Order: sequence, then structure tokens, then C-alpha cells
Amino acid sequence: MIEIRIHGRGGQGGVTLAKIIATTRYLHGFSVQAFGLYAAERSGAPLQAFCRFDEQPITNRNLIYEPDHVIVLDATLVGPAITGGLKPNGWILINDPRLPYEFAEQFPGFRVATVDATSIARSNELGTRSVPIVNTALAGAVARVLEFEPESVREALEHLGFRGKNFDAASEAYERVIIVDDVDRHGAKVTHPVTPTHRVPGIVDGGGAERPVIRTGQWATEQPHRREWTPPCNHVCPAGNDVQGFLQALARKETDLALETLLRTSPFPSVCGRVCPAPCMDSCNRLSLDEAVNVRDLERYAGDHGRVDVKPLAKREQRIAIIGSGPAGLAASYHLARLGYRVTVIEGGSSLGGLLRTGIPPYRLPREVLDREIDRILDLGVEVRLDTRIERRDLYRLTLEFDAVLVATGLQELRSLDLGGGGDGESIMQGIDFLDRANREVVRVDGEDVVVVGGGNTAFDAARSALRLGARSVRIVYRRTREEMPAIAEEIEEAIEEGIDCEYLTLPIRIEPGNGDARLTMICRRMQLGEPDDSGRRRPVEIEGSDFPIECDRVLLALGQSADLSVFPEGSEVRDGADVLGLLETPVYAIGDLASNDGTVAGAIGSGRRAALSIHYVFAGEELPGLVPTADEVIRAGSLKMHLFESAPSHHGMSRPAEERRLDYGEVHAGIADPSEAERCLSCGVCNECDRCVTYCPEGVLKRVGHEFIFDYEYCKGCGVCAAECPRNVVFMTRL
Amino acid sequence: MTLELVTGNHAAGYALSVAGEANRGARGAACGIYPITPQTEIVEFVARFPFSKGRVIAVESEHSAMGVSIGASMAGARAFTASSSNGLAYMTENIMVAGFYRLPIVLTAVNRTLGPPWNIWADQGDTLYLRDFPWIQLYCETNQEVLDSTLLAFRLAEDRRILLPVMVIMDAFILSHTQMETELPEQDLVDRYLPPLLLPHELNLNRPTTVGGLTWPRETMSQRIEVDEAMERVPAAYEEHRATFRQIFGRDPGGALSPFETEDAETVLVTSGTIASTAREVVRERRAAGEKLGMVKMKMFRPFPGDRLLDACPHARKFGVLDRDYAAGSGGVWWHDLRAALQGPRDGAMVQNYLTGVCGGDVTPAMLNEVIDDLLARRSAGKPVWKGIDK
Repeated sequence: MIEIRIHGRGGQGGVTLAKIIATTRYLHGFSVQAFGLYAAERSGAPLQAFCRFDEQPITNRNLIYEPDHVIVLDATLVGPAITGGLKPNGWILINDPRLPYEFAEQFPGFRVATVDATSIARSNELGTRSVPIVNTALAGAVARVLEFEPESVREALEHLGFRGKNFDAASEAYERVIIVDDVDRHGAKVTHPVTPTHRVPGIVDGGGAERPVIRTGQWATEQPHRREWTPPCNHVCPAGNDVQGFLQALARKETDLALETLLRTSPFPSVCGRVCPAPCMDSCNRLSLDEAVNVRDLERYAGDHGRVDVKPLAKREQRIAIIGSGPAGLAASYHLARLGYRVTVIEGGSSLGGLLRTGIPPYRLPREVLDREIDRILDLGVEVRLDTRIERRDLYRLTLEFDAVLVATGLQELRSLDLGGGGDGESIMQGIDFLDRANREVVRVDGEDVVVVGGGNTAFDAARSALRLGARSVRIVYRRTREEMPAIAEEIEEAIEEGIDCEYLTLPIRIEPGNGDARLTMICRRMQLGEPDDSGRRRPVEIEGSDFPIECDRVLLALGQSADLSVFPEGSEVRDGADVLGLLETPVYAIGDLASNDGTVAGAIGSGRRAALSIHYVFAGEELPGLVPTADEVIRAGSLKMHLFESAPSHHGMSRPAEERRLDYGEVHAGIADPSEAERCLSCGVCNECDRCVTYCPEGVLKRVGHEFIFDYEYCKGCGVCAAECPRNVVFMTRL
Repeated sequence: MTLELVTGNHAAGYALSVAGEANRGARGAACGIYPITPQTEIVEFVARFPFSKGRVIAVESEHSAMGVSIGASMAGARAFTASSSNGLAYMTENIMVAGFYRLPIVLTAVNRTLGPPWNIWADQGDTLYLRDFPWIQLYCETNQEVLDSTLLAFRLAEDRRILLPVMVIMDAFILSHTQMETELPEQDLVDRYLPPLLLPHELNLNRPTTVGGLTWPRETMSQRIEVDEAMERVPAAYEEHRATFRQIFGRDPGGALSPFETEDAETVLVTSGTIASTAREVVRERRAAGEKLGMVKMKMFRPFPGDRLLDACPHARKFGVLDRDYAAGSGGVWWHDLRAALQGPRDGAMVQNYLTGVCGGDVTPAMLNEVIDDLLARRSAGKPVWKGIDK
């Protein structure tokens, strides 16, 4: 009788290998047995399978204690147990790419053969890449080592109904198995370890006795670990906000903590919660499930309802001048003042806020909201000089007076169109000037037909303001389509609801004196979209002979703005967040739209913050935490377990009806009534302590202590359930 | 008939399926199924079998699995199921019902240690504790015997003189999961051995009856006496169906018990299941060395064929009973029944109990040699001896 013991791990097909070997012998007239040594353990645990064959009928019902040969399915199992009871001169066949000589020394008195069954199985696509099924390849190797008939494995596989590349794997292994047959056949004496069997301490009497320890972690082929990723909202936020962080705080109804989280990066949550184009929502992974989380309204909620006392963190001597009090200048002031610097804001106008006050109408951003957030900055001890315009020579003087100067004057140069002499300065006006006058309540357009040229937020703000100041009709003229309009989608929607007409693919050519009642006639030309330009938007192309007139009383131009660099010395290079001059001892930085032309409040806030942190690094040598995470750290929807999340519609918040709001300056949008929308945040790539991993760990080897998750690797078998159950890809498996 | 390499579970699943299929001319096959290690492969096999007539019904528990089989059997189907260990414990109420309803159901039981602690290995305690129910119990030694006994069980159960359910029993893993060569008979042979079932008390709308209602002590006792009389007839009926089996399949499915070298033996080992294979080999070796040893493999436990055992061992004065089970507080179950059988017919014989392979331990030739040495050296029987562990 020949007896074979197979050492493998659960899931490797060891019992099937025993059956294949038994079948090869059974088909040649032997009496055979094939069986496993079963236990309650799962995939990966060391298991044994057995096979015996004899020319006489087998009556032996015992396990195999003294095998003639052993087969090792996994080289990580090579150890003293392999040779336990193995008869002298027995074969040890190991699935491993190394040569048998590498093992022969460990096994004196035995014959060793190796075969790389794993790569044979992989190349024949048997099993999966991580769990290749090696048994048919090993059967081929066994046939060669034990000198079975060359065809016997093929016969057995056919008999057992195997298909496909199993046959190729078996014959390949038959050829490739490497045999060492030169070990001294009468070499080292083999002794069989005798394991005494004695009573184990029981449930009742064994309380104090030492129990056998089975460190099941030794069985693991994989281990779980944790890492966090950057959610896409945090990655794209121009202000650098921890969007995921404040949403999760709101989801736990911790409104103050949500606001505090936002105030770490931005002094304007209530402002951004009303006017931000919210790129976070465009990148939200929830879009692949239903709708983006309504981050904008949630930021507004946190800003309006949270209560946080902001104080300077230190007291420092350096004095810093900030020219311009728009969002970039104020954000820089806020951060520098919090860090303890002595900050002076110098503003050319008579009030603080820059474009936030002059450019954004109160029906979108109520003045009391803006004032409240500016007051929070001033309360940090920021000094203010109003009505102080800074020219080039003043800048030089400031560099002597202060230790650093930040220039945040925004975009003062307004783009214009030469439309001929058909109108005057009153009937043809820059939209931004119109807005400033409208916001100061020094202009009316009662009964007028107003045309606004442009497709950005300024165009829409001017158009909607004109409507509220008595215009009979308001029409927006834009040379591309609604798709390409840079204005916030919601504002376009609201403007159309309020009755504003949009003439897309229309280019103003010239303005002539009006016919009849109208003061002006604007001659326009139809456009069509051509190839994409540098910005990725399709370039509008004029259609010859398509000119047509629009009769109107007033034209507002909202074509965009550009930076006025005249305050700097000739030839200065202006880059966002970098020292402009470089030659003076005092650093001078350009920030906000002046430097970046980003055009959003959030972008200006981010620029101001980065400059503040750079200045702090110059003065204090302290590098504050990273600003924008790199893209390869960002987690995308494909890496989340989307099936574990339930679809739930977004709370969009309430707006006043168009017919009511178009007549006054009251706030259009009412926001959301409670923060439950935040519960829709998936917390992408960031553990929010949902505890699914702990709950589902079938072995109880994962526990949470406070905010820390602890894997007990001594006992973790690496089953991977925790990783499979982690909805946000924080828990992952690594191969050992 | 084809010789295949199959496990004990496969052999049982095959036999249950072809037996059920053989009833396609009558009311077909029926099986309520619920999985438990180590029998799950049996019900998986049955569930995949393409029955011409009948249903395999997956249910939520062992109790219901037997419930399905009881209902189907009362309606005339050839009904069967399989279970193990704590599954049998949960099924117990309906196991008893099937017996007292006199339904010819066949249950394949794979012996597994009753938990706790959780243990999946072979121990006969899960079927021996059902000994007081009106069921015939047959313990098997090989995959072939599992298959043959299952077919025989249907014929015996459906015998109008008997009408008792039968448990066909095998050791977990040692048989259930071990592949060995086994003859699988074709359907037409099985059809010849198992004619369509005609249950005399089959439910019939034209002949309404009430089943299982309240009865007075006297009526109930009469029913018990009927069971007892049927049990009395089992050994003889078994021999008839064994003989027919031999004629049709050309193979002996084995007797109620199988003596080995007992004619002149003074010392006899009595055991069952797969331990019998090992015991036979050990006895064969020691007889070759001149010792007057014998052994008896017990297949039938209920009814207990005590007189046949004594007939087979005319000179035995020392019996060693090998129990792969433990009845709390009273040693091994087979030991009790053998002592009862010897009381009177062979007073003064010594019966020593050895608890071997309890809870699934391997019973090796070395262990049985120790048992024989101990037995030969004894002048009187003592308490049951635990083997396989230093107590």
C-alpha cells in the first residue's frame, strides 16, 4: 500500500488532488481511498488531504500517520510538520519555483522534487490570479515523480470530467517538475515525533490551567490594513476647505464643529454658502449613485447657525499691509491675524468687501450676512484704512512702513467692446459699474428695455438687478450657448424663471441711435460653434449675413475683467502667492484675481490663505499643513462599495417664487431648514467610524478603542471580510 | 452496474434518488431538505436529481424537513431525508412522529458529535439517543454498504409486516467524505428491487380518516404493542430482503450482524461502523499469532439482535464492547444492550466497555491491540475505559 499526505491550505484544492491521484490508480485496477482532514476553518487555514492505494482491497479506515510521500501545495507550509511520520526515502514534492536543492538540506534522508505549479496554473488561467488552482498541475508532477503511466493523469482528469486547460497544466507540470534523486537513500535516520495525547483543561476544571494557544494569524496569507484617501470635494475646493470634515460634523448634528472646521480655512462660510459655484458638487462621488450632496446649502447652514469664537492664536510683532478688501485680501487678513500678525487692510473705497459688496447683489448675498463675516475678521484686531487708493509710489512707501505687503486689488481693468458711437456713458455702461450703483441704490431703469452682453455671473447679476430696478424687459446676449456660460447654473436657472430672455449664439456688432421709442439699436450677428479653443469650450464662429437689430434703451457690458498691474514697477512678474519684486527686503505678494484671474470667491479665499501661510513660513519658519492634496490620493466612485449605500434624493432648499422675488431685493434663496442633507455624504475614503468592519469581523479580532481601530494580527486569519465590508475603501488587504 | 470512485455521501444520495425514482409509477419521490455538515452533500445530490415524479423541497429547519417527508409519505410518496448531529436533535419530535405514524421513511444519518463544544467528527451519540423511537437503525462500515443498506431499507420499511421507518447510518468523514470505489446500480435493477409503494394507510379522500388524535391509554398501548410486534418481525424480514438483494444485485448487503472468526473464540470484540474494519484486521493478525479471538460487527441496533449475537459466539465468555458514543452517567450505549442480551442466556459472561474514538478520534490498530491486551488480562469487568486520551 502506498500512502500520500497532501499539505495545503483551505481552498487550494488539496482534497481534489487526492481524488485525482486516487483516480489514476483506480483506473489501473488499484483499490483506493481519498479523503480530507476536515475542520471548521475557512480559506487559507493549513489543511491535510490523504490518498492511499493498494493492489489488495483497502480496509484501513485510519488517518495516514506514516505516509510514503508528501505533497506540499504551498511553500509557506514547509516546516517540520512536513516530514512528520514520512517514511525514509519518501518523496517531498513542493509547489515552488526554486530548485529542489534549496530544500534538500532541510530534508535529509528524503527525496525532494519541486514544480512551479502556481505559475503553470496561472499561465493556463486556472482559478484566479490571486487564487490559482494548482491541483491539476501538481497531479501531473506526481505522475512523473511516482512513475505513473504518462497518460494516467489525462485519463483520470477525463474520467472526473475536468475540462479546458487542466490537461495542459498537468502535462506541462509532468515535463517541468525538477527531481533530486541523489540524496543518500540510507542517509540520516528518520525519527517520528510522538505527540502525547492527554486531557485538555475543560470548561469547568480548566479555569486556571494553561490552555493550548492556536495563533490563527499564522494561517493568514493576507492582512487587513487601513489608509485614508482624499475625497474629491476636498481636492477640488479652491478655498482648500475640509468639505468632507464639515459635512460629517453636520451629519452628527455638530453644527459648531462644522463651522469651526470651515473657519480653519475660510472666513466666509456664509458667503460661499450662497455664491460659490461649488466645484465640490460637480466632483461629488454621489453623482454616480443619485445626486451630489448639496454642499453649498450645507456650508450656508453651518455658517448661519454655527457659533464659534475665533481668537488670535499668538501675538507677533510683524506688521503686514493688505491692499484691497475683497475676498482674497480679507482671507489673507483673517489668517494672518489669527496667526497673531499685526494686519492693516487698505481699501480704496469707502467700505470693506470689494466685489462681494459692489459686485454681488443683496438678493443673492444679504449685506448683514457679509457684514457679519467681515466683522468676525475685524474682531481679530485688524486695522482698516478706507478711501485710500494706492499708486506705485505708495506701494514703495508701504514696503518701508510694513514687514510685508500683500496686493489684492482684483481685476480693475474692464473688458469692453467698440460698438461705435451710438450711445453715451449712461445708456452704454459696464455691468460692474451698474451693479455698484445699483447696490448703492443710485440708479433706476424704470420702463427701460435693457440688454446685457456676456454670460458670466456679473452679466446675470446686472440683468437681475435691472429687473428689480424697474426694467420693462431684460435680455442677455451671449455669443456661445447656455452650456458654455461661466455663470453658476442655478443663477441662470433663477434668472430665466424671473423672466429674463437669453439670446444665445449672438454677437453685438455695433450700436446705432434707436428708432422710434427706443434709445438704441444694437446690431447683432448670429454665431455657430466651431472647434474647441484653449479653454476647452467650442469657439463661436460668425455666420455671415445673419445680422439683425435689437431695439433697447440701455446696454450693460459684462465681458469680464483683467488685472491692472500699474501699481507694480514696470516689468514685474506677478505670480499667485509668490514675492512680486524679490529685490526689496520686504516681501510683496500679489494674490487673488489680480494674480490668478480665477474669478471665484473661493479661489480668492484659497489664494489669500496660501499667501498668509507663505508669509508665516518666511517669518516664523513654520510650515503649516499641506494645502491641496495630490490627485493620486483622491478616491473616485469606482473605489467605493457603492452597493452598500442607499439612494436618497438631495434636499435642494427653498427659493422664493420668481414672480415675487423679481420685484424686490430680498434674498432669493432660503437655504435648507436642517442639516440632515449632510447625512447623504458618503465620507469618501475617510473613516467615519461606521464600524461595519468591527461588526462583520467573524473572528472578533478587530476592535475600536476610542477613534483607533486595532487589528489583532496574532489571530486575524486574513479572511478579508472587513475590507469587503468597508464602504469607503479605508480597510484594504495586503498579501503577506 | 458501474464501479465509481465516490464518497459515502454520494453513495447515499445516489441510493435515495434512484429509490425515489423507482416509485415514479406510483406517487413519486419526496424529500424535505435542510443542510448540515457533514451530510449536506447528500441533500445536494438529491436536489439535483432529475426525478420523473416528485418534489425536493428546501425548508428552513430539520424539523420541517422531516415534516415534509411525513406529509408526503402519508400521501403515498416514497419519502426520505438526511441529517446529522444537532440537526437530528432539532428534528427529533418529527422523527418520533414518523415512527408512530408507521411511515416507511428512510433517513440517512451521518454520525457527528453532538455539540457543544462544536465538533464535526464522527460519534454515534446523535443516532443512538434516538434508540427508544420506533425506528430501525442500520450502521454501515463502507460506502458500498451505505448504498446497499439504503436500498434495502426502503424494501424493509415498506414491507407490510413491518411499516417502520429506517435510519441508515454512517460515520462522519471516515465514510461521508472519503472516496472509494463503489458499485452504483442502474435504475432498472433498482426498479426490480423496489416495486411501487402502496401504503395501506395512505391518505385518501374517498376514505377519510383522522390521524393522530387523542386516544385512551388502552388504545395507545395497543399501538405500542403493534410496534413491538413489528419490531419482532424485523430480523427475519431483513434476511428475506437481503436474500432478494443478493439475487438482483449479485452482492451481499451484509447481515444484521457479521461475525468474524467467532465459532471457537473465547474473547470477542463487539463493535459497529468503520471501527469494525480496523477491529477485523487486528483480530485477523492476532489469530494468526494463535490467539482465540473473534469479533462481531453489529449493523442492526434497533431492533437489537441479541439472540443472534449469542448464537454467533457459542463459546465466548469475554466480550469487549467498543462504543463510539458516550451516554452521560452510564458508559456506552451498545454496552447496555449487549449486557441486557447476555442477562439470562449467558449469565456470568464478562462484558467490558471501551469508549473508543468518542467525539471523532481516530481508532488505530495500536489502540485496539491495547484493548485486547486489557481484555485478555482481566478477571472481571470494571467501569467503562476511555481510550485515546490519558485521563
